[in-house]
Amino acid sequence: MSAAAKAAGVQSPLSEFWRRFRRKRIPLVAGGAILLIILAAVFAPWIAPFDPAAPDYENVLAGPSLLHLAGTDVFGRDIFSRIIWGGRVSLSVGFVSVFLGGFAGVALGLVSGFFGGWVDTAAMRFCDVLLAFPGILLAIAVVAVLGPGISNVIYAIAVFSMPVFARLVRGSTLGLKQTVYVQASRSIGVRRFPLVMRHILPGTLPGVIVYLSLRVGTSILTAAALSFIGLGAQPPSAEWGAMLADGRSYLGVADHLTLFPGIAIFVTVLAFNLLGDGLRDALDQKLRT
Amino acid sequence: MTRLLPRLVLSAALAAASAAPALAAKDLVIGVEANMPHLDPANTNDTLSQTAERLMYQGLMGFDKDMKLIPALAEKYEASEDAKEFVFHLRRGVKFHDGTPFNAAAVKTNIDRVANPDNRLSRRSLVSMIAHTDVVDEYTVKFVLSSPFGAFVNNMAHPGTFMISPKALAEYGKDIATHPTGTGPYKFVSFATDTLKVVKNPDYWRPGVPKVDTVTFRAVPESGSRFAMLQTGEAQFIYPLPAELVKAAQANPNLAVINAPSIVARYVAMNNMKKPFDDIRVRQALNYAIDKNAYGRIVFSGYSTPMDAPIPSDLGFYSKQGVWPYDPAKAKALLAEAGYPNGFETELWGGTSTAVKRGMEFIQQQLAAVGVKVTVAPLEAGVATAKLWNVQSPADATMQMNYGGWSSSTGDADWGLRPLLYSKSFPPNLFNIAYYSSPVTDRAIEAGLATADPAKRAVAYKEAQAQVWKDAPWIFLGVDRLLAGQSKKLSGVYYLPDGGVLTEDAALD
Amino acid sequence: MLVFLIRRLVGTVPVLVAVSIFVFGFVRLLPGDPARLVAGPDATAQDVAAVRIELGLDGPLLQQYVRYMGQTLRGELGRSAKTRQPVAHEIGARFMPTLWLTVAAMAWALAFGLLVGVISGVRRGRWQDHAGMVMAISGISFPSFWLGLLLIDLFSVRLGWLPTGGYGDWTHFVLPSITLGAGVAAVLARFTRSAFVEVSAEDYVRTARAKGVPERMVVWKHTLRNALIPVVTMTGLQFGFLLGGSIVVETVFSWPGLGRLLIDSVSFRDYPVIQAEILLFSLEFVLINLIVDVLYAFVNPEIRLK
Repeated sequence: MSAAAKAAGVQSPLSEFWRRFRRKRIPLVAGGAILLIILAAVFAPWIAPFDPAAPDYENVLAGPSLLHLAGTDVFGRDIFSRIIWGGRVSLSVGFVSVFLGGFAGVALGLVSGFFGGWVDTAAMRFCDVLLAFPGILLAIAVVAVLGPGISNVIYAIAVFSMPVFARLVRGSTLGLKQTVYVQASRSIGVRRFPLVMRHILPGTLPGVIVYLSLRVGTSILTAAALSFIGLGAQPPSAEWGAMLADGRSYLGVADHLTLFPGIAIFVTVLAFNLLGDGLRDALDQKLRT
Repeated sequence: MTRLLPRLVLSAALAAASAAPALAAKDLVIGVEANMPHLDPANTNDTLSQTAERLMYQGLMGFDKDMKLIPALAEKYEASEDAKEFVFHLRRGVKFHDGTPFNAAAVKTNIDRVANPDNRLSRRSLVSMIAHTDVVDEYTVKFVLSSPFGAFVNNMAHPGTFMISPKALAEYGKDIATHPTGTGPYKFVSFATDTLKVVKNPDYWRPGVPKVDTVTFRAVPESGSRFAMLQTGEAQFIYPLPAELVKAAQANPNLAVINAPSIVARYVAMNNMKKPFDDIRVRQALNYAIDKNAYGRIVFSGYSTPMDAPIPSDLGFYSKQGVWPYDPAKAKALLAEAGYPNGFETELWGGTSTAVKRGMEFIQQQLAAVGVKVTVAPLEAGVATAKLWNVQSPADATMQMNYGGWSSSTGDADWGLRPLLYSKSFPPNLFNIAYYSSPVTDRAIEAGLATADPAKRAVAYKEAQAQVWKDAPWIFLGVDRLLAGQSKKLSGVYYLPDGGVLTEDAALD
Repeated sequence: MLVFLIRRLVGTVPVLVAVSIFVFGFVRLLPGDPARLVAGPDATAQDVAAVRIELGLDGPLLQQYVRYMGQTLRGELGRSAKTRQPVAHEIGARFMPTLWLTVAAMAWALAFGLLVGVISGVRRGRWQDHAGMVMAISGISFPSFWLGLLLIDLFSVRLGWLPTGGYGDWTHFVLPSITLGAGVAAVLARFTRSAFVEVSAEDYVRTARAKGVPERMVVWKHTLRNALIPVVTMTGLQFGFLLGGSIVVETVFSWPGLGRLLIDSVSFRDYPVIQAEILLFSLEFVLINLIVDVLYAFVNPEIRLK
């Protein structure tokens, strides 16, 4: 906590951040990879060689070939095209769920840390309960009450992410509250809302940005785990986790069904994690030597 | 909380102590799909528990490996002309595992237990038609029914009427579920979380069996892991074997694949009371729209046969109607005639397993080709019960289409038709989720139940099946093949058409 | 300190009560009828009604709640709807497998995570750092069911070295604990590295170095010891998460643990088991949080004053 306080005490300008981030090759490569994956998803209609939903019953479970780079699936659909299209779904799951969870968590953390007292206690106990509550049960509840579908999967994952952000932001808010300029602003009568928005929120952001990046990967993996227990994206979605989960019973018969979606997930999650680590190094004042 | 913790620690320690595995020459390990809830036959409903119960328990009647009814603890029976009185002559000299002799009094104790509403046993409906059970002499027992019930003898082969030692029943009460004591070929040893172990019964009444020393059932939910277990020799028999892994099993020289007919029918129930499915032309169109051969090939890797009657061919009184032809042009014409030239949008429900989702996706693709836009909605098991089975009146039903399967646990046409297609079987009573109602079918189903005469029953069920086929309340898809993998060293384990397994004659080289 | 402890312990009671009320309402909000699920796929309406009475789900909700709270306060958890066994027995039988698997996974994850974290921290910015971090982070980037199935395929089926699953002697622990620990190892490696780097920048470490203390001493005595404190807390938290049992790992390796029990009881709507399991998780979580807070208070007296 004291570390976060000192860390956030001074705001680093964007150029300073970029100067230090640029020097790190691994996060830069990771960032480039993410950009490529996003571009591929955005331009899927132009890149994908086949219609990702068009079945071809005469050509099922074909291994990789020049025509079908990643082979075809159980319905004869081109797996390469499905992965490119599926990037839209998987990345949306990752981004949207993390932003929703992050937004709610930051708000809760700010309120909790700034006001303290019973508000803080209540908010933190609420986070405890949420963390202790098995995530899978929450997911089942969300999907059971709202019905199956990718948007409900997103809500379910957002709920997992919320307490993580709340705790993080509460911690740095506690530290920032003690800093000289916040104390000074308070003493000259700056009202609470502007104070929080202008002086405390920006200080918590470096940590939040790092976590956003790290949690995108986690969310994509959680979506895959939900597909594993049958509660993920519904057919015919080409969400990567669903492709991997549905293909797993063909292991030993048609390995390409899992290999390519698995690689897509692995590379994407790895890239987000490496990027997050790089951001942390670049944003954290403490690590500047 | 205070009292919970020490108990937790104690029982956990016990569990840890009993977890040591032992392997000798004649130990048979069977890998199964799920945990068995418990082992009280009168209170379990899943095929897996019933299979496990068959290790230790038997009924008056039983099934052979072709699921034909055979005498078990009864040697023969007589039925009255009006299907209201049934006399069973019992096998002599049979003893329960605890030494209690098996006789007519034991039969009465067991049937009365299941029939007594105060015991709240979930299989009571199997015997609820019995007015009274009479002990005629030591080895003869008579059932008098309150109304005619032609399928009664089948009910006496159902696990729900397995014979439990009266002494054990008195001793354990409700805990009989964890102290199984029957007359079967194996005796109970232990049942912890996901593993059931039984040992051979040396006093078994059939000479020469059992031929293995112990049988262990282990629950391995993930199908890839279950198959791995067979490949490494940790199990000698696994079921079900997913159709997509058959190729891998066949490639392994140590393994054999069991590929047998089943009585599991797969179909899409359409809500016959709701638009657009209240129009018979729409229902027929959807039947024309689906290529049943491709369904078997794609969804079950070829291990499925197209349905050619409302019930599978291995069920008693099956009457062949011929496979519904695949004709998308005709489907489109019928839809246009019914007022849907551009198709319509609808929702298809089903389960969440990979194989079920594959089937739903296939139906979605096929119906899209005739303009019907389907949203696939896999429902979690609990949600499905609420939305399908617990609906209080037809008007409340929100189902449009549901992809599901059914297997008649009595092996008889009655339980293949009546719960699903009889107008008095709308939920929540039974499972007619298609809300199909036809006076002709109703009369035929009632006629089939009103007699024990096989010839009369055959006529009735033939009429019922012809009518159902004509009315097309479902999209008729396919009948599963039963697939299991086994070690070539193993013989005498039979996979029954209802998905159960017989292990009585199991032998290991 | 003692006052702090007592205050925190007393503070956990309302949390547990809140959880018990919350979970009671929660499971009943889930669509699905336990009686129907327990009665099975081809039970008649009368069969279902009999089961409903047997499960004690027939009365009004308030009456059920009063009965449930009364039982819970007496330490009775009721019987499982699915197996008809006492819930304490059901959970007890699965607690040890989950605990031992957690211990095994944590043990190697901690060893690996510390090693990689320290090497990366010491060799910051050099190839050892990059290699170590990419390797560690790879562990957290694998969908765990896929990793588990691939491990079974390689080590059990192809090589025949290890069993495919089930709870038994140490060989049964290897593959599931690798699968379960991969993510934790990555988290710990990362955390150790940043804690290490952070401490390296502290004045007393710089001073030590300036005084000419040998580099090895600086690393082991000054830096690592101080860096370990937050790592210990992190380890505690991860331990708490794993104690809930992993549904994915326990399913892939047919491990009879709490995760599988939870998913089984949820799909059966086995209210007593779900309620008891969640109470147990909350208790574990609250206790671990308490331990973490106590550790924090030891390290940083400022927090205690608050």
